[in-house]
Amino acid sequence: MANILLSEASGTACPGELPSLRLRRTWSNQNYSQFNWTSHSPDNAEEERTEEGDTDWDLREKPLTMALKRAAWQVQHSQAPVVSNKDSWKRKKTKTFRKVKNNSRELLYVLSLWRKSLQKIGGNFGGGVQSYFVFLRFLVVLNFVSFLLIAAFVLIPSIVFRSVESSYTNSTGPEGCRKYEPHPPGLVLFYNYFLDLLSGTGFMEYSYLFYGYYSNTMVEDRDFSYNIPLAYLFTALFYFGFCLLCIILRMGRAVRVAIATGGGDVGNYSMIVFTGWDYSCLGDQATKLKQKNIHYRLQVDLEEQRIKRKAAALTLCEKITLYSLRVLMGILSLGLICSAFICIGLATNFSQENSDKEGILGLILEYLPSIVITTGNFLVPLLCDQIAKVEKYSPSNTVILALLRAVVLRLLSLVVLLYTLWNQITCGGDNKSEECNLCQYNHKDYPCWETRVGQEMYKLTLFDVLIHFALLILVEFPRRIVVDHSSSKLARWLGRQEFVVPANVLLLVYGQTVVWTGALFCPLLPLINTIKFICLFYFKKITLFYNCQPAHKTFRSTNSAFFFLLVLFIGWCWATAVMVYSLAVIHPSFSCGPFRFFRTMWSIIPTSFYSLHQSSQEFLFFVGSQAFLIPVFVLAVVGLCYFISLSAVYGNSVALMRLQLKREGRDKQFLVKQIEELSKKLHIPTHNTTVQN
Amino acid sequence: MGNKQTIFTDEQLDAYQDCTFFTRKEILRLHARYHELAPHLVPMDYTNEPDCKLPLALIVNMPELKENPFRNRIVESFSEDGMGNLSFNEFVDMFSVLSEMAPRELKAIYAFKIYDYNVDNYLCKEDLKKTLNKLTKEELTPEEVDLVCDKTIEEADLDGDNKLSYSDFENMITRAPDFLSTFHIRI
Repeated sequence: MANILLSEASGTACPGELPSLRLRRTWSNQNYSQFNWTSHSPDNAEEERTEEGDTDWDLREKPLTMALKRAAWQVQHSQAPVVSNKDSWKRKKTKTFRKVKNNSRELLYVLSLWRKSLQKIGGNFGGGVQSYFVFLRFLVVLNFVSFLLIAAFVLIPSIVFRSVESSYTNSTGPEGCRKYEPHPPGLVLFYNYFLDLLSGTGFMEYSYLFYGYYSNTMVEDRDFSYNIPLAYLFTALFYFGFCLLCIILRMGRAVRVAIATGGGDVGNYSMIVFTGWDYSCLGDQATKLKQKNIHYRLQVDLEEQRIKRKAAALTLCEKITLYSLRVLMGILSLGLICSAFICIGLATNFSQENSDKEGILGLILEYLPSIVITTGNFLVPLLCDQIAKVEKYSPSNTVILALLRAVVLRLLSLVVLLYTLWNQITCGGDNKSEECNLCQYNHKDYPCWETRVGQEMYKLTLFDVLIHFALLILVEFPRRIVVDHSSSKLARWLGRQEFVVPANVLLLVYGQTVVWTGALFCPLLPLINTIKFICLFYFKKITLFYNCQPAHKTFRSTNSAFFFLLVLFIGWCWATAVMVYSLAVIHPSFSCGPFRFFRTMWSIIPTSFYSLHQSSQEFLFFVGSQAFLIPVFVLAVVGLCYFISLSAVYGNSVALMRLQLKREGRDKQFLVKQIEELSKKLHIPTHNTTVQN
Repeated sequence: MGNKQTIFTDEQLDAYQDCTFFTRKEILRLHARYHELAPHLVPMDYTNEPDCKLPLALIVNMPELKENPFRNRIVESFSEDGMGNLSFNEFVDMFSVLSEMAPRELKAIYAFKIYDYNVDNYLCKEDLKKTLNKLTKEELTPEEVDLVCDKTIEEADLDGDNKLSYSDFENMITRAPDFLSTFHIRI
């Protein structure tokens, strides 16, 4: 009777589910000889109802023992194919498709970068730390591919067509704006080369590294023409579009996992108990730490319960004091962050005003903005942590709040730096002011302002990698040596360093945002960033294995992937805003670069547009006109509504099915009790009829 | 494909390839691992299906399983006799289910088997207590263990019988985002 029940219950599931449910029942009966072969032959009527291409019974996903599976495989393959041509062709197609997939999977497996290192890291330090390194690998590949793009379309044509004279000779700018001397006259001392390397001036300034070196050559041969300024612009736009595509694709993958699993923290304890143990954990140390980790998580959960109970039991007076304290601390942390921004602005102004100093002092002044940003990003989170202790939020809320503060601080520091630069370059946006009147930008201090912006971004990137290296050598290794070999109280309190994933990820996102902001002005920056991230991978790996202990507080690896990509996306949005502003509003330098004869960088597109063939012009006009765009927009809105309603329907059916599961369980219990009572009444000895599923 | 191996016939390799989530190379590599667990017991020639089973004690000494607190239960769940003696078929099956290509439903079935210590097709409180103690190496106090087990059953039990049947377990596992990545052994 239970069987009838189950078949009725499973009849409400979709047809493809029927065989697997039956299989589970037969499996759970622990009686394999009862396995019913005939109901699972491929010619079964039910199988034909399944989706197309599914006529091949997928043995791998059945929970049978291997011997049974192989016997079933034999049966499948020894059966004379009494199927139509179409079916056998379909089966062959799925088989070859699977072979191709297997071969490509093997190839990708061999080619995938740093696979063994990532495995080792994941086994010893857990999924959270591994997700950081996976994210780093993604950024390395992204930067490398971007560099290839830029090299193919901008760098190599520039090198090849270097000797071609620039075709736009009509100069429209005033004489005073065209003065630009990147090579200072006189003898250059040797150590100046080193200083120049670090600050991007001197021999590095007038090179392929920066915008200023590229010229506005337009090569026109018989049947070949190449417009370098146009290529420069299009490459920049395509580079941003490509990065956005990569981010969204990866986000899509992460979001799909989150949605499929309901995305919630439902069942916290059961999650920890059943999915807490990482089966791929290697090594004795790692497993002991994993056990301590799970122990810690359970304790944190129990602690949170206690805190919640205590919070609910507060009196009104205590609540008021707590909330006012929180507001006060919030204002304090906001004040700290704003003061950091003010310092960055002041430092940038000071550095720009004293940019003509020589020697080591000049170098320090050049790097002053980077130094202030790094110091601020180190000190302010520390102070905010102390503040958080007073605020007394629950542990998970504290973590989220600290993360938010760190993200805001990091990304807005860059905003402040760029704003200060903009202020100096465009005299605060005031075209009529004394310095900016002639060329619409400050031509005295910035004869080639794009190169200067590129230099700032170059210095930020370089400083980042230098600071990491310096910290590794001067702070992390000594800390480990001190902690391991001395038994003083200080050493014990300090403890070995922990690899804190969120802070490190924010550093990566910051570095990538700097590169995106500077890519328009320093085309080789993606290459420098690729090398920087590769070095960073090895630095961090070394520090992880030699100096760190695994963190006691875990970072969930599945939710975190989406969080990293979201912050990266915010960085991308900011960089795009900067690029659009530079393209459309600020006047390009008169003395350097491929756009020196245009009113804005964007105006090359209308100019080249009119040199196109008449029919292409008409086609593009049509595509941009209302007659085309409005129907496309309406279609897009209709499509969007369709997908929204579809996802709402799916959400509803999932909720309904969950409710149904609950009800069926209760029905089964009720019916089983009835059976037992009946059998007792009729004195029928029954074997154990407890429902197995 | 050109590789002249004599351990399996081509037909056997095809069968293994279709019945597991491994490719030919991986199956041969698995055989090498199986062989090195007991070089004198495991024949190099499997073409005539020798009947060779390795005991539990040898299997749980593999580096991938050595530190796993559930190693005994894992091996027992995949063995046909329930005592942990694995033939090569079962050995391959075990690592196939634990590989990253196996779907969630299949892994959930075997995870349920692993955590079911008394093999009664239910996860009762005793099973959960044993699981929890293995997870935390008995560092939680008995009251804490009790509390966590009660909360777990409370969260996952749908039909109200104070123990977790397979459908309760599966329903909870489908909402666990980490399950696929944690229930995974690389070999």
